[in-house]
Amino acid sequence: MRCRDFLQLDVFAYRPGTGNPLAVVLDARDLDTAAMQAFANWTHLSETTFVLPPRDPSASYRVRIFTPRQELPFAGHPSVGTAHAVLESGLAQARDGRLVQECAAGLLPLQVTGDGPTRRIAVRAPRGRAVAPPAGHLAALDAALAGRTRGALVPALIDNGPQWWVVELADEAQVRTMAPDLAAIAALTGATGAVGLAVFGRALPGSAHALAVRAFCPADGIPEDPVTGSANAAIAAWLHHNDALGPLGRDFMASQGREVGRDGRVHVRVDAEGEAWVGGSTQTVIRGALDW
Amino acid sequence: MTRSFVQLDVFAAKPGDGNPLAVVLDAAGLHDTTMQAIARWTRLPETTFVLPPTSAEASYRLRIFSPRREVPFAGHPSIGSAHAVLEAGLATPRDGLLVQECAVGLLPVEVRGEGHQRRLAVRAPRARVLEIGQPDDPRLGAALAGFTAGALPPVLMDGGRRWWLAELHDEAAVRGLVPRWDAVSALARDHEAMGLCVFARCQGRDYDLVVRALVGHPGQVEDAASGAANATLAAWLHQSNALPHPDGRYVVSQGREVGHDARLELRVDAGGDVWSGGQVQTVVRGTLDWPDDSTDSPSL
Repeated sequence: MRCRDFLQLDVFAYRPGTGNPLAVVLDARDLDTAAMQAFANWTHLSETTFVLPPRDPSASYRVRIFTPRQELPFAGHPSVGTAHAVLESGLAQARDGRLVQECAAGLLPLQVTGDGPTRRIAVRAPRGRAVAPPAGHLAALDAALAGRTRGALVPALIDNGPQWWVVELADEAQVRTMAPDLAAIAALTGATGAVGLAVFGRALPGSAHALAVRAFCPADGIPEDPVTGSANAAIAAWLHHNDALGPLGRDFMASQGREVGRDGRVHVRVDAEGEAWVGGSTQTVIRGALDW
Repeated sequence: MTRSFVQLDVFAAKPGDGNPLAVVLDAAGLHDTTMQAIARWTRLPETTFVLPPTSAEASYRLRIFSPRREVPFAGHPSIGSAHAVLEAGLATPRDGLLVQECAVGLLPVEVRGEGHQRRLAVRAPRARVLEIGQPDDPRLGAALAGFTAGALPPVLMDGGRRWWLAELHDEAAVRGLVPRWDAVSALARDHEAMGLCVFARCQGRDYDLVVRALVGHPGQVEDAASGAANATLAAWLHQSNALPHPDGRYVVSQGREVGHDARLELRVDAGGDVWSGGQVQTVVRGTLDWPDDSTDSPSL
């Protein structure tokens, strides 16, 4: 057992407590998979990451991402937070505003803008595509939406690593006031192989954000996730696919988490190639040494 | 503001075996709402805040928060916070005792040994029996379906928090129990209790009892190691003349079913008071940066 550098961060947060927490072990060499899994179970956080030297010469660093139950090939908020941790600790430097993350899903580019408290980091999400849901899903979808007024976009099951049900509601108020029927949502996601249901509504002009988003994953033990990179990327991909970005443009802010006591801000961008990027600010909350 | 912070593993012989706890060591000036926000953010079962004592007899003052609310007393946060205070040199035991000031008053914490061998135990508030159930009580039937009861009848106890306690026939029955969460939650709600604690006597082990604590309300979760629930159980065993050993000491195994392997050391003293304790491992040592919220009145 030896001491390792450890950080616990708040991701997609403009101040501590508003985002999604992440634990990062900065030097995970000689920790085996079982030890990583045990520590990720112990932190009680949705994800814990472990930084390793890159194996690919073009990568800035390598990361392994664990939930309390399993290892994930890729996830948005752990990638954004880990890049922040690597920069803060000086383990890697951005080149031309870019870092390259080596993870189980391959090499993924990250974009770094600004410095210090104004730094923002964005990750390119795996490309989202609509998949055909199993027959008979419409009744389950109706039940999961519990009488909410829908928006113009057709609901879809989007696969960008995890599979998300993406549903537009009529406006921001329909999103904010939704009292989720968790049993009905679990029935929908269970029957269709989705990780969760992501609802969104457009904000009134003049708001600081353009979209209000909420993500429910009751079948995974997470009734409502505070701030979700992949769900925001799935929403952007589906809007772009339908030419429905409209007044959002290709670069906008999403607000998520107020209903669970947070106030996350996700910066969403669709680039010229149609790829969705999700990013934001990260706050370093806990700095320390880990004995494990 | 930057404050000293540790994250500990309580009731653990090595890191990962026990119940995690976050401790903010210099919490003076933090507002109630900020403490609650930090406790919600850590997502741990409890986060504690160490303050200078207001009583001359106390070694330190402690406030304990779950992610949802402030808790007047809990076992693993008391044991862990006493360890953190000793490690940080904020207090020294007198005659082997620290005195913790918390919302339920002054509680003694016994300190034995040093360094890695150190053992801590907190005297739990007196627990009382609210209701003794029938053997094979139908109200517990849904939660325990299919399992053979042990020697003692089920009982509803109040040790600060309320628990239903149910003895099962043997260790295998406790370890093999698949929680029926809807039934556990119904039981908790109907009796304003935390949930159901099942236990059995063990033979040929380095522990005397196996315990599992199923929290049915709020939320549905199994505790990795429950200091207060075990203290309540010790009071019940004492009252029933059913303690494993005549000297009043015994060791509990808890948490294997949720990926941990905690050991709790229980003792019922000559006065009938219950002491609940064990070892603590310091896992993270560092600092916490959290802005002070100036919009609310500071905590007293």
